[in-house]
Amino acid sequence: MDGCRSGVPTYEGDLHVVAAAHHIVKALGATKNLSDDLRKILIDLDSHLSMITSNIDSKGGRGLVDVEERLDQAERKIMRWETDPMMIWDSGPKEASDYLEAVDETGKLVDGLRGLSVHENRKQKEILHRAMNIFQTAMSRLEEELIHILVRHGQQFEPKNMYSRSIRKDIVYDESFVSVEDEPTKETSSQNCSNDESGECIVDLVHADVIPDIKSIAKVMFTSNYGPEFCEAFISVQKEALEQYFSFLGTEYLSIEDVLKMEWTCLSSKMNKWTWSMKIIVRVYLASEKQLCDQVLGGLGSVSSYCFLEISKATILCLLNFGEAVAMGPHRPEKLLRLLDMYETLADLLRDIDTLFSEEAGSFIQLQFHELLERLGESAIAAFKAFRVAISSNGSLYPFAGGGVHPLNKYVMNYIRMFPEYWNTLNLLLKNQHPGVADQVTKPDYGPDTSLLTSCPMAYHLRSITSCLESNLHKKSQLYKDEALQHIFLMNNIHYLVQKVKGSELRLFFGDEWIRKHNAMFQQHAMNYERATWSSVVSFLKDNNPGSSSMSKSTFKERCKGFSIAFEEVYKTQTSWSIPDPQLREDLRISTSLKVVLAYRTFLGRNLAYTDDKCVKHTVEHVENSLLDLFGGSSRSLRNSRRW
Amino acid sequence: MPATDYQASFLGRISIRRNQVIAMDGNHEQELQDLELFSKHVSERFAELLSSPDDVPFDALLSISWLRKLLDFFLCCEAEFKGILMMGNDPSQISKPPLDRLIPEFLDRSVKALDVCNAVTNGLESVRHYQKLAEIVVSALEQKPIGDGQSRRAKKALTSLISAMNVDDKECSAAKATERSWSFSRRGVSSKDRVPEHFRSVSNHVAKNWSAAKQIQAMTNNLVPPRGAEGSGLASPVYTMSVIMVFVMWALVAAIPCQERNGLSAIHFPAPKQLNWAQSIIGLHEKIGEEWKKKEKKGTAGLLDEMQKMEKLGNILMDFTDSFQFHGDITDQKAEEAAAHAAELAEPCRRMEEGLLPLQMQIREVFHRIVKTRTELLNALDQVGKSSPPLL
Repeated sequence: MDGCRSGVPTYEGDLHVVAAAHHIVKALGATKNLSDDLRKILIDLDSHLSMITSNIDSKGGRGLVDVEERLDQAERKIMRWETDPMMIWDSGPKEASDYLEAVDETGKLVDGLRGLSVHENRKQKEILHRAMNIFQTAMSRLEEELIHILVRHGQQFEPKNMYSRSIRKDIVYDESFVSVEDEPTKETSSQNCSNDESGECIVDLVHADVIPDIKSIAKVMFTSNYGPEFCEAFISVQKEALEQYFSFLGTEYLSIEDVLKMEWTCLSSKMNKWTWSMKIIVRVYLASEKQLCDQVLGGLGSVSSYCFLEISKATILCLLNFGEAVAMGPHRPEKLLRLLDMYETLADLLRDIDTLFSEEAGSFIQLQFHELLERLGESAIAAFKAFRVAISSNGSLYPFAGGGVHPLNKYVMNYIRMFPEYWNTLNLLLKNQHPGVADQVTKPDYGPDTSLLTSCPMAYHLRSITSCLESNLHKKSQLYKDEALQHIFLMNNIHYLVQKVKGSELRLFFGDEWIRKHNAMFQQHAMNYERATWSSVVSFLKDNNPGSSSMSKSTFKERCKGFSIAFEEVYKTQTSWSIPDPQLREDLRISTSLKVVLAYRTFLGRNLAYTDDKCVKHTVEHVENSLLDLFGGSSRSLRNSRRW
Repeated sequence: MPATDYQASFLGRISIRRNQVIAMDGNHEQELQDLELFSKHVSERFAELLSSPDDVPFDALLSISWLRKLLDFFLCCEAEFKGILMMGNDPSQISKPPLDRLIPEFLDRSVKALDVCNAVTNGLESVRHYQKLAEIVVSALEQKPIGDGQSRRAKKALTSLISAMNVDDKECSAAKATERSWSFSRRGVSSKDRVPEHFRSVSNHVAKNWSAAKQIQAMTNNLVPPRGAEGSGLASPVYTMSVIMVFVMWALVAAIPCQERNGLSAIHFPAPKQLNWAQSIIGLHEKIGEEWKKKEKKGTAGLLDEMQKMEKLGNILMDFTDSFQFHGDITDQKAEEAAAHAAELAEPCRRMEEGLLPLQMQIREVFHRIVKTRTELLNALDQVGKSSPPLL
């Protein structure tokens, strides 16, 4: 380098040497795969050489005059914009490239003059200061232009089209079970959100047309050592754009205290929103931001990932904090599905996060994600346990009127019907929970035809939840004084349980054996009901002496009366009982009818001699029709209304 | 002080005493010893923090390394505290008076501390921004010879730096609410290097209307030293740990930019001087409180040592760049002075570069630790008092 500076060469030969060197430098500079350092060196060299050339051209002393002229020219181009209200890049590509050219020229002159200024030449120093002053004006201007371009061409995208909002059906757990309704089975529209999300979804956060402009500004600012200014401006605008998008999504900053105090319905919708926003922010927004950073700052070493981290860190931490707050909150059973949603979302995003924040500085963010995932898993398990506890501890003081399907049963079954959607996650979480237990319990029961699903940890836990439910229902059935009603209640409820299992994916986890067993169970209760109610009624119609042809009239009268009273009594009580399932009601009526009507007809037929007597209060048809009124849910009476 | 250090000595002392003491009530005796040791350690640790020399910049009060030490001590005290509370021989103690009241209050305080941790983490983002601006100043002024160009470059960064540091707490929460404009008002431009308005002030990742000062004030609710017989039981470490927690959060908020800190110095710590362990904390509280009062009127980003140095040097260099612009040139002596100040400014920048991320991570660690202890305490309460109504 000293050789170049050691005086302004005057020989023709030198001119050639310098020209040749210049040529080589230019050619080298055009090579693509250059390291940043090397490129910088070449640029420096290039400006030195131009300086020398200009000096040689002007035969020594006049060199500075030429430099000054070149500076004047560049200055005019740069300074004219200082009074112009228009932005340069808005004015057209020609203006922009002219400006960049002038900046480039000034930069070269600055570098060249700096190289020469060892000589304490007053004039030279003056020109250098002037050049640097102009250069600072240009750099400051470029920063403004950069901010302007980013703001003006920044694009917001509609999140609506990204992911369907309500991913899964909302179920609200109500401790009082008042609002729990037996909703018709609505299959959820999008079962598995990971299918449509597996494809990377990248949008242009800044219009693609201006990316080359931003790149050209980045290039000139970085080569001129103004990289920090570029980064700060870039980070500021992009960070704010992300914050705006964040509030555009309707996500607000909540303190942990607020989250912990929040009502369940509100929290539930916030949890839903979090799941949704998290996906969009990470998979769409941040992926796009990362791409933008790489497009603009790629090739500048770690600058791109530094900027990306600075832009995204605060928002990410904010999202994570909501997750932490939710995981910290009381582990109520109703939270389970929402927690599983959050867990699955996060687990699903981990790979994206690990890629986005792969650099060392980003490992902090990575770690936070992994920690939150673990916390959400723990919290989900705690909510799962709380669910079981809530089922077994749900107590009642009074019997459930009519013996129909208990709201607890409805609630639990509708709730666990959602579990199969989460079975991978639940299996994962539950497996860690009870190692070994699941293996022990499931296998012997389900013999050789055990499918994979019926022996997974979730299946075990599902069955244990329903057996919890069953024993609670048994407890509830004890509240009825009437043994027959106990059986109706259990029949109804177990039937409901089986129907729910059969009618959903739950059947895969419960298995045919379970279904068979429970079918048999409610049928047993139906039989027990018949025995408890009708055995005593029908016993009036039994022939005590099968050998003799007929009974005495007085016995007949007595039997008839006994039957009528008993039948009326049953009618009165059991019309108020309820069997909500029409098929089940029908089946029970038929089987009752078979038993009672047949016995009555036989009884009357055998004693035809007395049947015209007034003592036969009810005809066979009447009994048969009356049986149809049972289990309708509203009490009726036969005693005062002779319908024929 | 690494965590293992105190554990070794802690356990060591216990085993020695176990051999010495033949007490009638072994458990109670043991508990008393643990409590005694706990307050001894607290007192030692905070005495060390109080004695930090102001002239050694690396360890100065409220410097990054000092705060990291503070957080280290917090974690140590916390671990020891949890040990005393949870590993006692009678876990049911925590559900009996007075702990049945004190523990929920403590947990409530913990939750509040978590929000402070988050606000401070967010504030560190601003500090990071100051660092970057200061680095630009340094790199502009370390070039030779200093000309108008560099001086203007430095001035521009300094203007952003000083205005960012002077944004008062209220303003930064209000700025967020309205959409910021990036306009530079290009018409009638007078200054050559325009600084965009609100150039990245504290970005608000904290709930609206949240106030750091009020939060800490709320943490001191119900915080009274145990009296009478309570003083010898587990009520006393709960109280001690509460005071430590409030103090640590208070110091963080004083040091690092945070939303709404009006009245921070007025927060009173109900720590009686006669308690040995409390003396150093009271000393620190007074010392920092004084500092805060001085700065509060002017409006300050925070008392973080590195930031204060930055502010001081920033103002000096701002004067320099002003006079540079005014005179057009500068004497060599002035230029040398400026270069020296710039070099001095490089020092806090370097310490921020090294320390900010670890500090942020450590605050996060404190956050997670508080969460964990809270969960464990809740579980313990749940185990002990299955029949009692569930706690939040």
